[in-house]
Amino acid sequence: MKKTAAAVAVILVAVLAVFVFYDGVLNKTSDADFFSMNTYVSAKVTGYESDLCTAEIQKIVENLDTEILSRTAENSLVSQINKNGGGELDLQTAAYFSLLLDVCRQSAGAFDFTLGAVSDLWSFGSSPKIPDENELLEALSHSGYEKIVLSGNSIELQDKSAVLDFGASGKGISLDSIKACLETRDIKNAVVSVGGSSLLFGDKDFTVGIRNPEGNAGSYIAKLHIGEGCVSTSGSYEQSFEENGKTYHHILDPETGYPVDNGLVGVTIVSESGLLSDVLSTACFVLGVEKGSALAAEYGCTAIFVTEDKKIHVEGNSDIIEITDSSYTLAE
Amino acid sequence: MNVKLFRKGDIAVIAIIIIAAIAFAYFSFSDSENLQAVITVDGEVVETLDLSSVKERIVITPETEPKVVIVAENGEIRFDSAECEDRLCVNSGSLKKGGDTAVCLPAKTVITVMGSDVDAVVY
Repeated sequence: MKKTAAAVAVILVAVLAVFVFYDGVLNKTSDADFFSMNTYVSAKVTGYESDLCTAEIQKIVENLDTEILSRTAENSLVSQINKNGGGELDLQTAAYFSLLLDVCRQSAGAFDFTLGAVSDLWSFGSSPKIPDENELLEALSHSGYEKIVLSGNSIELQDKSAVLDFGASGKGISLDSIKACLETRDIKNAVVSVGGSSLLFGDKDFTVGIRNPEGNAGSYIAKLHIGEGCVSTSGSYEQSFEENGKTYHHILDPETGYPVDNGLVGVTIVSESGLLSDVLSTACFVLGVEKGSALAAEYGCTAIFVTEDKKIHVEGNSDIIEITDSSYTLAE
Repeated sequence: MNVKLFRKGDIAVIAIIIIAAIAFAYFSFSDSENLQAVITVDGEVVETLDLSSVKERIVITPETEPKVVIVAENGEIRFDSAECEDRLCVNSGSLKKGGDTAVCLPAKTVITVMGSDVDAVVY
C-alpha cells in the first residue's frame, strides 16, 4: 500500500511538472518595445515561437521604415520616388499603393498620400507653426492623388513636385506586414501597437481602449470588445499647438491644407486590415460623421466617431462598444 | 483492515508539494497589488519603481538626448520637465493607475504603470 501512495505522489508531481513545462513553453510570452517610424512600437506575443516573432516584428517595422516608407531616410524607396518622380515597386508595396489609391478615390480625396509638401509646412512633430498662405497654396497645387499613375509595378508622379507621404498609412501597413508574418508562426496570440494603431492577433477576446481625448495616453473613454483585427484612431488631440488663442491640430483637410474643423475629436476604425483601419480613420475624420459613416460602410468596417460635445456615433457593429466614461453618451 | 494508506515519508512529500503550491500562488499574485512603474529608454528598462510605496519625492534623470526629468511622489509619476520641442510628455500629466502611459518620442523614453485592464489603447 505504501508503494501505491508513493506512486500516486510521484505521478502527481510528474503531471504537475508536465503542466508547468507545457505552460512555460506553449504559453510563454515575449515583449518588444522600440522606437521606429517616428513612433513608439510595443509588441506582446504569446506562444511557442513568441521570441522569434518579437525579433521579426522589430525587423519588419524598421525595414519598412528605412527601406521603403520613410521620407527622411535618403535611400528609402519613397525618398527615391519623391526625388525621381517615380520608380519601380516590389509586388507587396504595389499592392499596398493600389489599395491606398482606392481609398483616395472612394473618399473623393479626403484621404490623400501626396500631401508631403503641405504637411512639411506645418512641421508637426518638430516645431509646428502656421504656414505662410502663399506657400501653402503653392504646395497644395502640387498635391493630389490624381497625379499618381500606378501601372503594374511602376509608379509615376505626373507632377514632379508632388511628395508622397505615409504618415497616415505607415503604421497600418506595418500591422498588415506583421500580421502576414505572425500567420506563419506557431503562436497563440499577439498584441502589437505601432503608435496608436493596434493589431490584435489570434483566437482570443481582446479589449481595446479608445483614448480619452482629455486624459493621458493610457486612459480611455470606452472599451471595444473584439476578436482578431486592427484598430486605429485619428485624434485631433494627438499633435496640436496653439497660436493667437486658436488650436491647430495635425489632421489636415487635403482640400484646404488647414486642420479639419468639423466638431470631431477622434475617429476609431475597426477592420481586418491595418492599412484600412489607419487610412479610414483619417479619411472619416476629414469627411465627418455622415459621409465618413458611408465610407466605412463601403469597406465593411466599424467606425466610431467622438465629437467635441462628447457624443459617440457608431457606424457598423455597435455591440462591440462599452462606454466607460459616463460623461460620454451614445448618439442615436 | 487497518492498512495505513500513507506513511510518514509520503505525508512529508505531499506536505512539501502543498506548501510549494501555496508559496507559488502567493508569489504569483502578491505582486499584482502593487503599482509598478517601469521607465524604459529605447526599449531598455532603466528603472522600476513600486509606486504604491513612493511617498518622498524621487527624481530620476535617465541618460537621454534631449534630457528629461522624471519625478515620482505620493504614488504618482510624471515627466516633470523635458528639453524636447513638443513637450507632449510633460503635458501627459501624472500617471497613477494601471495602464497609464507617457511617452517622450524625441528622448525615446516611456513611463508605463503596469496592470492595464485593456490589451491596447488606440490614439
